Amino acid sequence: MRAATRLGAASVAAACLSVAASLAHAQGVAVDSDTFAGLEARAIGPATMSGRISAVAAVAGERLTIYAGAAGGGLWKSVDGGLVFKPVFDKYNQSIGAVAVDSSNPKHVWVGTGETWVRNSVSVGDGVYRSADAGDTWTRIGLERTERVSRILVHPKDGNTVYVCAAGALFSDSDDRGVYRTTDAGKTWEKVLYVAPDVGCADLAMAPDDPGVLYAGLWQFRRLPWFFTSGGPKSGLYRSKDGGSTWQRLTRDLPEGELGRIAVSTSPAKAGLVFATIEAEQTRLYRSDDGGESWEALSHSSAVTARPFYFSRLVADPKNVDRVYKMGFSAAVSDDGGRTFGAIGASGIFGPSYHGDVHDIWVNPANPEQLVIGTDGGVYISYNRGSTFRFVGSLSVSQYYHVSYDMEWPYNVYGGLQDNSTWYGPSRRGGGIANKHWHALTGGDGFWAFPDPEDPDVVYDEYQGGNLFRVRKSSLESKDIKPTPKAGEPRYRFNWNTPIHLSPNDPRTMYYGAQFLFRTRDKGESWERISPDLTTNDPDKQKQMNSGGLTLDNSTAENHCTIFAIEESPKDAQTIWVGTDDGNVQLTRDGGKTWTNVVGNVTGVPPHTWVSSIEAGHASAGTAYVTLDGHMTGDMKAYLFVTRDFGRTWTSLATPDVAGYAHVVKEDPVNPDLLFLGTEFGLWISVDGGRQWGQFKGNLPNVAVRDLAIHPRDHDLIVATHGRGLYVVDDITPLRSLTARVVESEVAFLPSRPSPMVMPTFEFGFNGDAEFVGASPAEAGVITYYLKKRHMFGDLKLEVYDGQGARLATIDGGKRRGINRVQWPMRSRAPRNAPGAGAISSIFSLLGPRVLPGTYTVRMIKGKEAFASTLTLVAEPGSRHTDADRVAQRDAVLKLFGMVERLAHLADALAAASAQARQTAGKLPDRNRLRGRLEALATELESQRKALVSEQRGEGISGEEKLREEIGTLYGNINGYEGRPTQSQLDRMAVLGGDLDAAMAKFDATFVKDAAALNTELARQKLPPITRMGWEEWDQSRSAFSLGADDGGPLARAEGRSPMADR
Amino acid sequence: MLRPALAAAAIVAFVAVPVSAQTADEIIAKNLEAKGGADKLKAVQSIRLTGRMLIGPGVEAPIVLELKRPRSLRMDIAVQGMTITQAYDGTAGWMLNPMSGRTEPEELPSEAMKLVEEQADMDGPFVDYKEKGNTVELQGKEQVEGTDCYKLKVTLKSGDTRTYYIDAEHYLEVKQESRTNVRGSDMENDTIVGDWKEVDGLLFPFSIDSGQVGGQMRQKMTVEKIEINPAIEDSRFKMPVKK
Repeated sequence: MRAATRLGAASVAAACLSVAASLAHAQGVAVDSDTFAGLEARAIGPATMSGRISAVAAVAGERLTIYAGAAGGGLWKSVDGGLVFKPVFDKYNQSIGAVAVDSSNPKHVWVGTGETWVRNSVSVGDGVYRSADAGDTWTRIGLERTERVSRILVHPKDGNTVYVCAAGALFSDSDDRGVYRTTDAGKTWEKVLYVAPDVGCADLAMAPDDPGVLYAGLWQFRRLPWFFTSGGPKSGLYRSKDGGSTWQRLTRDLPEGELGRIAVSTSPAKAGLVFATIEAEQTRLYRSDDGGESWEALSHSSAVTARPFYFSRLVADPKNVDRVYKMGFSAAVSDDGGRTFGAIGASGIFGPSYHGDVHDIWVNPANPEQLVIGTDGGVYISYNRGSTFRFVGSLSVSQYYHVSYDMEWPYNVYGGLQDNSTWYGPSRRGGGIANKHWHALTGGDGFWAFPDPEDPDVVYDEYQGGNLFRVRKSSLESKDIKPTPKAGEPRYRFNWNTPIHLSPNDPRTMYYGAQFLFRTRDKGESWERISPDLTTNDPDKQKQMNSGGLTLDNSTAENHCTIFAIEESPKDAQTIWVGTDDGNVQLTRDGGKTWTNVVGNVTGVPPHTWVSSIEAGHASAGTAYVTLDGHMTGDMKAYLFVTRDFGRTWTSLATPDVAGYAHVVKEDPVNPDLLFLGTEFGLWISVDGGRQWGQFKGNLPNVAVRDLAIHPRDHDLIVATHGRGLYVVDDITPLRSLTARVVESEVAFLPSRPSPMVMPTFEFGFNGDAEFVGASPAEAGVITYYLKKRHMFGDLKLEVYDGQGARLATIDGGKRRGINRVQWPMRSRAPRNAPGAGAISSIFSLLGPRVLPGTYTVRMIKGKEAFASTLTLVAEPGSRHTDADRVAQRDAVLKLFGMVERLAHLADALAAASAQARQTAGKLPDRNRLRGRLEALATELESQRKALVSEQRGEGISGEEKLREEIGTLYGNINGYEGRPTQSQLDRMAVLGGDLDAAMAKFDATFVKDAAALNTELARQKLPPITRMGWEEWDQSRSAFSLGADDGGPLARAEGRSPMADR
Repeated sequence: MLRPALAAAAIVAFVAVPVSAQTADEIIAKNLEAKGGADKLKAVQSIRLTGRMLIGPGVEAPIVLELKRPRSLRMDIAVQGMTITQAYDGTAGWMLNPMSGRTEPEELPSEAMKLVEEQADMDGPFVDYKEKGNTVELQGKEQVEGTDCYKLKVTLKSGDTRTYYIDAEHYLEVKQESRTNVRGSDMENDTIVGDWKEVDGLLFPFSIDSGQVGGQMRQKMTVEKIEINPAIEDSRFKMPVKK
């Protein structure tokens, strides 16, 4: 059946050789997640600023176990007291609202998804999960529609009884909220406290001395794209005395009227002691000493009143009755029972050393000196009750809004993050991309950032609400360049996340959007307004100054009727698309003179749905893609449309396979059928222009993908996630050729970009385990192929040949279904060394000679079949070495390679001849004259060998250098550098070559003089002669590899599969 | 390639039993059958694997692995002309590493002993698992690199776990995850196997790719040759005595 193209018939030059199965019988192979999972995204962090942590829980013990729930980056676990955190929830919803460990069985862990610190950028959960094996495996056990979970409480004596405090939907009414109870570990749930479809459970506490007594803060709240309301008449503090079956609203001593978010905490130190903070006209801390019957109004310090929707965590100290912690801009503590509060970790006017905006705290019940806090910038740990903190550098949960790149080699990536400024860092780095390789630019919340196309030292970036800067990386000099209203103009309305757009046609043109579109051609020194108000300018959606509800909260997060997306067509600089947060898609085809709102031609989307991104087509000016996002009005569907006629007609490209509301779409600049779509729940790829979508799962969790960029030179897809930092899918070239025809092939090589010949480098440093280190691409030539089905039986190997047909390497190939990537270190095999007393110091002595840039033939051996393709290696971009330098390097390396092996041959031949002489001597009587001569010969040969190789046993540091070590080290030193060897190295090589020749001549002379004479005598006595091991015999003994021969063991033979082709 | 009889056995097994009715024992039985049968596996007295080990990017070392009943094991790896040896004779484990300038063998530390003792079990943890004190749990089906697999979690007597992913078509291992407690911490490794070939009526993977879970360094072993029942002197497994 298989119409396989055998190697003989193959065009060796073909970059892509598709070995097609009979297409007539093809059943239509799905292009699904597994088709491209083998591409594997590379997580590059950064974790240096970490990201928002919404919940922490821990298990006290000799070894502290900590769970950290990220706002958008899943659940992480540390089993070493917070040094190393590992993600344990990658397959599930990445927004964590609550984590609870069953105190009666710490292997039982409960997670409620959906963060309840309900800022504008908050995500959406999908229920409650349970693990029975401390986080190894998870089962979703219900409450799928609750969207947000504030708290989970596990009954201390009965782990099957669990309470879930569900805040519920933020953007719409919903019945799926309130307090839920299960008594059978989640098999069935009972909603035991519910007030109204706009009132959720904000906090829940259990009396430590009586698990039947529960306190719940019920919260009326709503967020819209342009307004947030915390509070209303339906909020209230409730208590149950019968394990949740019945509830009573507590009002005595508590404020009347509208209430907002309520936090409540019971003290393990004293029965009946309860603390609560209640958002009200005057937000305050309240304290009850009688189990909620009566309350005393205490502190209303800013630590208590600040931003209740964002900070409402109150935790009573486990041992000290007077101590209670309150989270806020800083973590604060009261040591006087709630009368006064002070920030912990604060020193001087700059505040604490930890990141502000603290959401949760865990106080070690066994040792209350120990605190774990979760902030907008990760987890911090204190061992002295908050006097000083240690940052956790292993949590890669940064929340990017956008990403861009420069054209340096290696290129850098730029982007802004939730409450964490704008950062740039390298896309590759020998030894890995560590926290120290990242640099911050402007402060605040970061969003768009672009390096200047003409000057990579200059970056345009911003903080929230349209504050635009031109920053120099080298000096951090920063200039405010935001457009300002001219006389007679209204105030400019900038979105929280204001779009910056660089013209793809002119490196000096940049756009910025308020309700108007602005253009600069002088790097932001002056701005030209090139549009009227492109929004609906609806006054009802412009009341952000009153936003917040009971507590005013106008952070620019609710700025509305603003431009959110700007795209100039790469095909035509006069064609510019603009999308607004209130649902307009505006188009100009004359560089801004006239504008048309084309959103009316889009059907199937509710009016005024937020335009989250626009992508102008690369092949045609009339083509544009648009994503729309209605989640902030309760519409969670993915919307993606394409127009090919300047917005007159639109076609929907979102299929039911795509999950999550859509943030961003990108069309591949080379193959317009290749599309990438980022949604709240992951990255989706289509290879057929949007007819079929598969989720990309190659090392990428179901995390919100907010932005995407395709590097035009390196062809990498850069993925900006809002919760797991940045990922790079190296070289998407293979996806460009992944047509329906190819996926129906049994085997197909896929074209890749030419592999840059990067020399491995090492950065000295021993940083322990406590830091995240992002992966850098391997210094290797990459071979890419597609398998329709997993390869199971027989070989799957790849052989690399040079232009002369000599085999340079044999590589074990990947076997997975879909795309496989195989790396070849671009070297032929390493030389075989003489045995010595220790290792040769240069690490590159372990590696074979590097090949030269060029095109190599790749042959796949698959079972009994063979297929061919090519692999192109190019010099590293920006390399300072010439082709002649590389040839000079390679010539020297090959000479030294020969010297290493000749020396190994000589040493082995000396040892073998010496052993023969010694063995024969042993057969002769003690005072035999011949025996004496044989022993003398053996001693001479042995001394010759010892003159060549290190012999001293010095536990690895004898420092002894003989010819073996000198030649080997010189080989390694030249082999580890891409360019021309130094004259000193070449001179030394000549000297060592002379020494080697002399040693060989000495061995020859010994043979001619002593051994020949002895052999005549031995022959006379019918004893075996002393032989000199020839090159071929040695070559075979070494490639045929004899292990353990010295202790009389059998000779284990391995085929010499990778001959040194160049010799 | 597969011997016809073996292929037939695998196919028949696959077709005859409804997938939903599978139990851990049935999957183990089919796995052993697919590899040549439990009796035949148990009849093997010694094995020698010869191959190449990729110990770092571009750093390849010849390797020989020998196993002999009841519980002996020896591994030799050659680097820079020197042979590093690790061995176990059923009682004592030792290693010799001339790379560190040593000519004397050393006893293996206890954590390495634990692994060597396990690796010396030629049959692996499935064969007679109950007698060995292991428990096996079928944790349903899961995809491994796009291939449907049965997930079998083996808990060893020590409490360490070895989770096997057995492909649902041929009943052969695709992947193994191991969790081993070392000084109170769990070390997690995974191994992807492939290139199954038949040797004397038994199937073996000739490609073994292993590494720490989440780590970037992988160790790839490519088997060149497998010998069944080669003569191996017991002395090869014994720690050499200083003369």
